[in-house]
Amino acid sequence: MSALLTVSGVSKRYPGVLALDRVNLRLQAGEIHALVGENGAGKSSLIKILTGVISPDEGEILLTGKPMRFSTPRESLAAGIAVVHQERNLIPRYSVAENIFLDRLPTRYGVVQRWRMQDEARRWLDVLELDVDPATPVRYLSVAQMQLVEIGRALSLESKVLLLDEPTASISEHEVARLMGVLRRLRDQGTGILFVSHKLEEIINLCDRITVLRDGQNVCDAQPLAGMNKDDIVTLMVGREAAVTELGARAATIGSCRLELTGVATAAGHKNINIKAHAGEIVGLYGLVGAGRTELAKALIGLDRITEGEVRIEGQPVRIHSPLEALRRWRLGYVSEDRKGEGLILSHSVTRNTAITVWHRLRRVGAFIWGSLEKDFIRPLMGRLDVRAPGLDHAVGNLSGGNQQKVAVAKWLAADTRVLIVDEPTVGVDVRTKGYLHQLLWKLADEGTAVLLITSELAEMIQLADRIYVMNGYRIVGEIANSHDYDEMSEALMQIIQNDNDVRTRPVRAREEVEGHHV
Amino acid sequence: MKSSSIITRMLRHEWLPLLLMAIAAIIVLALISNSFLSTYNLFVMLRILSVTSLVALSQMVVIAIGQMNLAVGAIGGLVAILFGAMLEIYGVPIPAAIVAAVSIGLLCGALNGLLIAWTKINGFIITLAMLSVFTGLTYGITKSIPFYNMPQALKAAYDSYLGPVPTILFIPVLAALGVGFILNWTRIGRHMLAMGGNPAAAELAGISTTRTMIFTHMLSGGLAGIAGVVAVARLGTAEPSIGADWLLASFAAPVIGGAALAGGHVSVVGTMIAVVLVILLENGLLLARTNPFYVQFFLGALILLAVLFNQWRVQQAEARRASSRAVLT
Repeated sequence: MSALLTVSGVSKRYPGVLALDRVNLRLQAGEIHALVGENGAGKSSLIKILTGVISPDEGEILLTGKPMRFSTPRESLAAGIAVVHQERNLIPRYSVAENIFLDRLPTRYGVVQRWRMQDEARRWLDVLELDVDPATPVRYLSVAQMQLVEIGRALSLESKVLLLDEPTASISEHEVARLMGVLRRLRDQGTGILFVSHKLEEIINLCDRITVLRDGQNVCDAQPLAGMNKDDIVTLMVGREAAVTELGARAATIGSCRLELTGVATAAGHKNINIKAHAGEIVGLYGLVGAGRTELAKALIGLDRITEGEVRIEGQPVRIHSPLEALRRWRLGYVSEDRKGEGLILSHSVTRNTAITVWHRLRRVGAFIWGSLEKDFIRPLMGRLDVRAPGLDHAVGNLSGGNQQKVAVAKWLAADTRVLIVDEPTVGVDVRTKGYLHQLLWKLADEGTAVLLITSELAEMIQLADRIYVMNGYRIVGEIANSHDYDEMSEALMQIIQNDNDVRTRPVRAREEVEGHHV
Repeated sequence: MKSSSIITRMLRHEWLPLLLMAIAAIIVLALISNSFLSTYNLFVMLRILSVTSLVALSQMVVIAIGQMNLAVGAIGGLVAILFGAMLEIYGVPIPAAIVAAVSIGLLCGALNGLLIAWTKINGFIITLAMLSVFTGLTYGITKSIPFYNMPQALKAAYDSYLGPVPTILFIPVLAALGVGFILNWTRIGRHMLAMGGNPAAAELAGISTTRTMIFTHMLSGGLAGIAGVVAVARLGTAEPSIGADWLLASFAAPVIGGAALAGGHVSVVGTMIAVVLVILLENGLLLARTNPFYVQFFLGALILLAVLFNQWRVQQAEARRASSRAVLT
């Protein structure tokens, strides 16, 4: 094995803080190398240096033995480093194919060869078994599909080094398994893969060696993963034993029916959806990417039309036309899967982001809002969620991802909802924050909220849900009580989806794609 | 203790450099020109301020929600000539005419807002079209002839004093206080900034972005309407050309004042200081006997400088943000 990419003694200083302190990383050809650390440990800074987004203050980067200095992402790409960033970097109005080949559109006589481009894109989509038309504009895809397109884009570069920053954050178990297969194949062909993830199960399954960062320093440097378990990694990351408390089984006290869907069909394409969620219950909605879970949630809060069937909240038939009505009249809330796009106002303060759902209730004199009133209201929530911010007036965009997610959830705690739909609540947050958020969902349910949980992470679903509905192709295809046994449940859930796929001769395509053809 | 906290709070404000710049400009102008601090010259500037401040606020509130109102001047012009017509042709009492005129401004703004809401077409295009619609109405109604015979009482009120203070000084002060109050202390103001910051997040959090948008355009139209009325009082005639040259200043002041054009962040104080700065620049060039045709050139240069400065400041903040993020985790 030869050293493909070597980082030695790299430091990066921001005013007042040392983000990276003489960090080393040795990536070899033909290995999958895990880079882990808590939020803010320096992973992102390191990746930004490797991809030319920022320059290091000191230290050296060697690519196949040659010293490199990237001042733009383009240079890093040209040198043979492909990357899938944590943030989405797609152009919404461009097609899947155009996004994949953005910087190297195949042309003849200066004219883009659309068909050739789409054929080539198809190839990479097939590798990931992503069933979308390469001509579909990216904006019609779900978050998970977009993520797979980005991975496809990185794969299509066929570079020597592949950096993946939280590539599985918003894709489901099924796609993760497929991605892992692809990555192993690439590794065997000699690609060096740097895999950044908060999901330790994946790391143990997939990676060969591990580099851990804590507070900008190496805790370990290219240590073989063989023989290490989850706890060992956590200990390295947080520096002490047992920072994650695995929750045991929860004895749910089930109350009256809060949310009931009977024969619901939506303009998004859902057919005959029957779901019940009771007070004190966490109901899971599991499915693969494009199964229609987020779309159902959005229809429920009035962002899309419900065309057939009946929705009842606390026994009363309801017709909800807007999120405003959902919140104020029916106390139904939705925590978005897209924290930055739909969850938070990044330039605004912690206070404003949290209090946004309660301004209508803060009225004391006319329509006036006093800052102190707001703060008194949210302070207990901040304590409860252990949000770490220098101050409540601090802009949310300045917080780490985990704390941002806590704020995104806190605003719905403030809203005091009776039914709360939680969509991918722990995307891209570290183990410790994840633990907090899990406990929080439990507490919410214990206090009598009906929680509808959408998550693509099977472990999370099996840990939290009391009952799980399985969704496939915009329909409910099964319902099972959760035994909290990972192996048993994962097999049962996969079986349900597999059976349904077998029954259908041809998979029902997502609405986005059908739309894509017409637009 | 108290005073030091006031000073530190002042220092935190983004408009501080602007204020220092304005003070420096005043000192320089006072030193190089004897006539700068003359009562006459101060009054000239105050008269400009009475209109421009309203125009700037009218645009600023729309910028707050992440949109633009290109029809600010057109609404002002239409309101101005209808106000003139009410006074000259129909002999409406001045207070009633003011109320009616401002209502017309609100109505024009509401029309903008409703059209954007119904069609879901970009506000830029809608207000561009309405700019032409309103201006066309103005010239059609007047056949381009001003209403000359404004009542003496209107001029007199405009030039009056409340004690030692010229009445028109209250216009920018009250307007700024009003808009500042709405943005910072009321629910609808919060909704406006939330919508500007992230419309999707605001909507999911149970804010009606449609209502907020329509309210904002009404507010903008109302302020433009008041500006139209004040302009008539200032000129003593209701000219159809009122408002034709408002557009540049309407964007310049909020942007120099630190507004994010994408929405979600505006500064009332910054905008008002920026208006003063623009007026000082024009006045200074005038006193220095510069060819008046170059005023536009220098105004453009000022805007560019201010925007570059703002960008630099945001980058500084970004660097601090990056460091504080690392500390936090």
